[in-house]
Amino acid sequence: MTGVVLWYLNRATGITSLVLMTLTVVLGSVVRRHGRIPGLPRFAVQGLHRNVGLLSALLLITHVGTAVIDSYVDIGVSSTFVPFTSGYRPFAIGLGTLAVDLFLLVVVTSLLRTHLPHRLWKAVHLTSYLLWPLAFVHGITAGTDLGGGWLLWLVLGCGAAATWFSVAALGARRETPPPAERAEAALTATSTAMSTGTPVGVFRNG
Amino acid sequence: MTAVTAPELTRGLLDGPGPSFAQHCAAHGPLPVVDLHTLVEEAGLAGRGGAGFPTAAKLRSVAAAAAATRKAPVVVANGSEGEPAAAKDATLLALVPHLVLDGLALVAAALGASAAYLAADEALLPGLATHLADRRDPVGVRLHPVAQVFLSGEESALCAALDGRPPLPRTKFPPVRERGVAGRPTLVLNVETLARLALVARGNDLAAAALLVTRRMEIAGTPWVDVVDVPLGSRIGDVLRLDDAQAVLIGGYAGTWVEASRAAGLRLDRSSLAPAGASLGAGVLAALPADRCGLRETAGVVGYLAAQSAGQCGPCLNGLPRIAAALDVLARPAPAPSGLLRDVERWSGLLPGRGACSHPDATVRLVASALRVFSEELARHGADRCSAHTGRPFLPVPGSG
Repeated sequence: MTGVVLWYLNRATGITSLVLMTLTVVLGSVVRRHGRIPGLPRFAVQGLHRNVGLLSALLLITHVGTAVIDSYVDIGVSSTFVPFTSGYRPFAIGLGTLAVDLFLLVVVTSLLRTHLPHRLWKAVHLTSYLLWPLAFVHGITAGTDLGGGWLLWLVLGCGAAATWFSVAALGARRETPPPAERAEAALTATSTAMSTGTPVGVFRNG
Repeated sequence: MTAVTAPELTRGLLDGPGPSFAQHCAAHGPLPVVDLHTLVEEAGLAGRGGAGFPTAAKLRSVAAAAAATRKAPVVVANGSEGEPAAAKDATLLALVPHLVLDGLALVAAALGASAAYLAADEALLPGLATHLADRRDPVGVRLHPVAQVFLSGEESALCAALDGRPPLPRTKFPPVRERGVAGRPTLVLNVETLARLALVARGNDLAAAALLVTRRMEIAGTPWVDVVDVPLGSRIGDVLRLDDAQAVLIGGYAGTWVEASRAAGLRLDRSSLAPAGASLGAGVLAALPADRCGLRETAGVVGYLAAQSAGQCGPCLNGLPRIAAALDVLARPAPAPSGLLRDVERWSGLLPGRGACSHPDATVRLVASALRVFSEELARHGADRCSAHTGRPFLPVPGSG
């Protein structure tokens, strides 16, 4: 009986965690591009990114914990942190382990963000773009529920959303002009807008 | 006042015989060995770069930071004059470069500095390089060209430029005095401050009690710009000819407008200027002739200042262009859209204290003083009239023909 509960809990937290991680990537992309979500101020988008990320971390802990405790297949405590040491499907589980390691790093550096050099935090944070595909491929290869139906469509939807928003975020730098050109462009745009009576947009500073 | 002359000049910075090292030595003698910290403290010297910070306190804090971090400090002579209305630093470097270099050598020795820089406009560097070659300073001075942008003289932007990064200001913490050039404690002093140090070290006590002023006015319709050395506490009415002036811009583009009648009685020192909301700033005094429009002039300057924003902080990048564009509308002799003035006041209230540097704060202060001093002009514009009789701008704005 316990085995069945653990098994269901493990699959449920795994899939929910993937959905929330995808949502975190999407929100992170919005934060990165200084975008808005209707009805939310910018700082709230940032807060949402952070809290959804933390929630998926909690689910991930349950996901890993149940996998280790469930004795039906051989996944040891050590393979929680050391990749490719699991007795059960070492490759698929190993990818998940790598993702967990990276996730831990990202969460810890983000919680300590104000105490770390900005560049270090950023470098670690950027590994999220490696973390998510690892988790995704882990889900596809280790998952047992993807034979078809709504779950498959959900996972494919996650893949599409994460890819789309990751590309948007990584490409965003090229859209923002360098600081030296921003002020002049903002002045020209504002003067034009004000003389034609159209509303002035918001200029991005980073 | 009959003729345009500065009041009796102190034996000062600009009346040397010539710029060469031989002439400098003949006029001022060798550089004495002094206890700089005590000397500067007693002279009460304040920085001449714009902020008017006490030089003794700056020296002390860099020395303390150097002791705490066990890193030899860096000293920087700041000759980057981004302020378009000012000319004193360039004048000083052209006429008495060795006083500046003496000052730099003094602070380098007093702090045990490992490196010394002189940052100045590119055009001045070849001349300065020849002057440097005549000297034997224990700490070699490296010359560095500065970009002709408004913020290039801001000390954190200057340190970034010396480190080979884009010249952008950064937040005040950690301060440059603790982490500046190459991460070392860094003393950045304006070139005029250094030149005054060199005179103070030679026993000229009056040197600390004077300041260089870039005067800008019009005499019988002819523009007049010069740099004079005037004692602190001089009446502005004695320094500028104000017969035909309507207002005085005190301090430069980061400064304040004051009505000519009020400005005439103000004295050039911190305590006299403060009640008028003004400060010495970069030592610019500009007397706006009666046949110009103060709003038009200010709009030109604010447009320039908005374009010169470093574009790093949202409030500055979004606020200054809005204020500049609105001011441009208010500067036209036509009724402005209702609520525009209120918008400018609202935006102005949102800016101060929210940038990494004080660029937005200073710009907003200038705008507020213009709207106060030129309130009659504002009303005149509402009735389709303007007091400008000439289209020739009075205040120089780079890049606007």
